Amino acid sequence: MNPQPFHGDVIQTLSMVVVITSVIAVEVRRLRLAAVAYSVQALLIVALLLSFAAINPALYWWAATALITKAILTPYFLFRFIGATGDREIKPLIGFGPSVVVAAALMIAFYRLTHSQMSLLAPTAMAQQEVFRVNLAVASTVFVLGLYCVLTRRDAVKTVIGLCLLENGVHLSLVSLAPELPETALFGVATEVVVTVFLLLYVIAGLRREFGTTDTFKLRELQC
Amino acid sequence: MSDPNATVSSSLPILAFAVPAVAGALVFLGRKLGRLYWQSLAIAGSAAVALAGLLMLPDVVAGRALVSWGEEFRVDGLSALLVLAIGLVGSLTAIYSVRYVAQPGLVSRLGEPAGERRMPVFYGLLLWFIASMAWGCVTNNIIMLYVAVEATTLASGFLVAFYWDRRALEAGYKYLMLLTIGITFALVGCVLIYASAAATGSLAGRQALLISEVRSVAHLIPARTALIAVAFLVIGFGTKAGIAPFHPWLPDAHAEAPTPISVLLSGVMIKMAAYALARTVSIFYPSLPQLTVFLVALGVFTMLLGILAALPQQDLKRLLAYSSVSQIGYVVVGVGLGTYLGCYGGLFHLLNHAFIKALLFMAVGAVIYATGVRRIADLGGLSQRMPMTAACFLVGALAIAGFPPLNGFMSKVTVYLALAQSGLWWAAVAAVLAGVLTMVVMVRAAVAVFWRAAPPDVGEKVVREVPAGMWAPMLALAATCVVLGVFPQLVYPLLDQAAVVLATVGR
Repeated sequence: MNPQPFHGDVIQTLSMVVVITSVIAVEVRRLRLAAVAYSVQALLIVALLLSFAAINPALYWWAATALITKAILTPYFLFRFIGATGDREIKPLIGFGPSVVVAAALMIAFYRLTHSQMSLLAPTAMAQQEVFRVNLAVASTVFVLGLYCVLTRRDAVKTVIGLCLLENGVHLSLVSLAPELPETALFGVATEVVVTVFLLLYVIAGLRREFGTTDTFKLRELQC
Repeated sequence: MSDPNATVSSSLPILAFAVPAVAGALVFLGRKLGRLYWQSLAIAGSAAVALAGLLMLPDVVAGRALVSWGEEFRVDGLSALLVLAIGLVGSLTAIYSVRYVAQPGLVSRLGEPAGERRMPVFYGLLLWFIASMAWGCVTNNIIMLYVAVEATTLASGFLVAFYWDRRALEAGYKYLMLLTIGITFALVGCVLIYASAAATGSLAGRQALLISEVRSVAHLIPARTALIAVAFLVIGFGTKAGIAPFHPWLPDAHAEAPTPISVLLSGVMIKMAAYALARTVSIFYPSLPQLTVFLVALGVFTMLLGILAALPQQDLKRLLAYSSVSQIGYVVVGVGLGTYLGCYGGLFHLLNHAFIKALLFMAVGAVIYATGVRRIADLGGLSQRMPMTAACFLVGALAIAGFPPLNGFMSKVTVYLALAQSGLWWAAVAAVLAGVLTMVVMVRAAVAVFWRAAPPDVGEKVVREVPAGMWAPMLALAATCVVLGVFPQLVYPLLDQAAVVLATVGR
């Protein structure tokens, strides 16, 4: 397949910035800034989808859906929730320094993996091209960073942001793994995430009222 | 037998989930109307699923698959089995809930006038929950399977947290968070299957999305890619099915949800996730025979861990929830074995456990309804005052423990035989051991709640048998447990077709 329709260097740059926004979203202690970082990432993902759309017009739909669900609705819910509460995150389990090391190690590991074992991860001929390797490396990094965020952050809002990152990682990988996915499937996948975020924040609002905190480590009613 | 790929065009697969979905929307639209309106819609909507399941049987038993909308929706024996279970348990739950929700403090918070404001939300989501489960069982699109499984989580998430107190909110948060993370792993697995099936070049365009088509090219997918996909699917759908070690959400959610929701969660939702797992992973049974030992080991681990965790439980609902973990282990062992006998036993147990666990949760709900208590230590001597509930609980307890001639015995023995047939003696011994422990846990709980002398503070309370609207569904389920135990051949034609879908060897 002809790699020319892509602006390879643009995609590379965008992808790198996506990883940086993930690290910021995970690390920044002010929740509002973390939500801003998440919104920037959502916009970058929309831009990435648009630059890949040359191979598959369905990606235009995907980009439009992502714009509405990821870049508009999810940040709206997040800001509305944070607005009603303190802006400071509850101190996480693992601090800033180690987290940056983790993020860097992940990025390097996935970059190497996608450049040596690509046929294993994405068994399509198209995915052997450089842009898709980079895309998949970035997608995996964002996915694992999201998981890391959910596991090590105590603040419930941060766990929701981590969940969003996790989903973003998977959705980004669809570009490489399933470029010909029909719009209906993409629409279903994208809509569910925003409903999940809404429901989770709704439940967390209830938790905050009952427990007086969003610290997930204080949820100790149901032990054993 | 007729051609295994014979299909009939039919609208039943769509109706099976569209009717309850529309009924749910009507409940939300008519939330100003009365309780009678919401409840009759709930019963009608869930009964429609059961009816669709029954109407599917003639074709499915004859070996024909029902398809609609191209092959986007496809119902074979396996799907029909699940639709039927969801419909039957769903309608009985809807009937049971009519009286249950009327008790103040059970669905509404204490002090509110029986929660008229929240009740349409309860019934609307209940219907959507049933609809999403039925949708997952009829879809043939591997990405939509993920969407449907996640939709069940979303429809039930609010129901789990419905009481909106500290315990329910904590359970709801864990439920939504853990299941969504888990299901995202399943999405990666589904996408990998789709991508690798598309890459084989044998399927044109969107054909690679259809599970039934992917099966035909499974042998062309590289083994290592298949293994990665299976790992993601086991984590993803396994979390939803409550397979250990991904089960920690299950006891919290099943115990804290309102009882009719517990019935659906334990009775059918985890079965639907096990179905999704079996449907996707079984694609690779022929090309990756080593999968079976892995799945059997996972199932054995699940059944032992679940029942050991149930052993010290004092909370009746948590005890039943942990027992569900253990029982899903039997299903995984049977289906994971991949032989015809194993799949038959696993699916038979899936069906039986749907009825048994629905019965047990309803009986515990009846105890909570009558006494307001669910700690075993605070209960006792109820058999005199609640004879119907006591009898139904005992039937359920004996059935789940695998006591002959009840249905649980039949399916467990089939699983034991299948394990022995495959030479996996260690697993057979472990399964029998888990069965013995189940007997201990369940019979001890039954005796403590119903036949032991009542603790002094319970003895003074006025406890009466629950209304017929609640014990009638329990009686129907108890009768089913007995009938399926004495006449297991009744479900043979359906289970036979369902097992053939999954099994690779030994029919």
